[in-house]
Amino acid sequence: MATTNATIDIASDVTDNALSVSNTTQLNTAGTTTGVNTMTSVTKVLASTNQVDLIATGSVSTTHAYVYINNPSTDETQHFKITIGDAGAGLPTDTEEIGRLYGGDFMWMPWDVNDDICITPSTSDDMTVEYMVFS
Amino acid sequence: MATTAQLTLNSGDIAGDPVNVTKLMTLTKAGTTNDLDQSSGLNRVHLRSTTNKVLLAANAEGNDLAAKVYIINKSEDASLYVTVTINAQTIGKLYGGDFLFIPWSQTDTDADIEIAATNWTSSTGDIPVEYALFHEDTDFLTNA
Repeated sequence: MATTNATIDIASDVTDNALSVSNTTQLNTAGTTTGVNTMTSVTKVLASTNQVDLIATGSVSTTHAYVYINNPSTDETQHFKITIGDAGAGLPTDTEEIGRLYGGDFMWMPWDVNDDICITPSTSDDMTVEYMVFS
Repeated sequence: MATTAQLTLNSGDIAGDPVNVTKLMTLTKAGTTNDLDQSSGLNRVHLRSTTNKVLLAANAEGNDLAAKVYIINKSEDASLYVTVTINAQTIGKLYGGDFLFIPWSQTDTDADIEIAATNWTSSTGDIPVEYALFHEDTDFLTNA
């Protein structure tokens, strides 16, 4: 099994006493200390404001995965809505919006692989999205 | 006043060549380059219930505004996990040591972030969870 580590470093001086957080975790299969052994890395260019499946459940064969999504745009006004849910019917109302990734933003989360992860660009201009899945 | 978050992913053997990804972001208000200027600070709770508990209560005023959420399962037991949901939609499971860092759209007041120590029992012990919220609006309920 592979050894893959994820590290988060957060630094903030919003409060009077600065906040500094640093944690590293090994990416393991569900409930074990055995490392994940599969990685997918994709870059896509979207040119429509339609909601589309970004990461489908059928692309992962486990019930626990880790997902990284990045909006590499340098335009801070361009964002992606990231949603999760049953997009099978093609209705945005079937999904729950997690949040919006503006230009330069990333997200990192576990994924239970029960529902697709969907994405909606804010503009029909070409927008690039990058993602990685570890499982 | 600024907040930065950096994610580093590395592996020497998950692929034929080493994988090294580092991404640094400055947390900004929605659609601008202005820094996020409010924070809940770092919080710690101990879970001892399999039922969902509201960790962060959504505020409809937060819709269309920027908010970032950090949550980590500080348990040292790799088998103990915390299920994270938004508006009853499961996002994923944080096993011992796992963390998440996500944007949070409060599309309505049902968009609470809830957590549950799903496989907790009286013999497993508490599951410590730490979290922080960074946001921009002026009337924000940060804790239920």
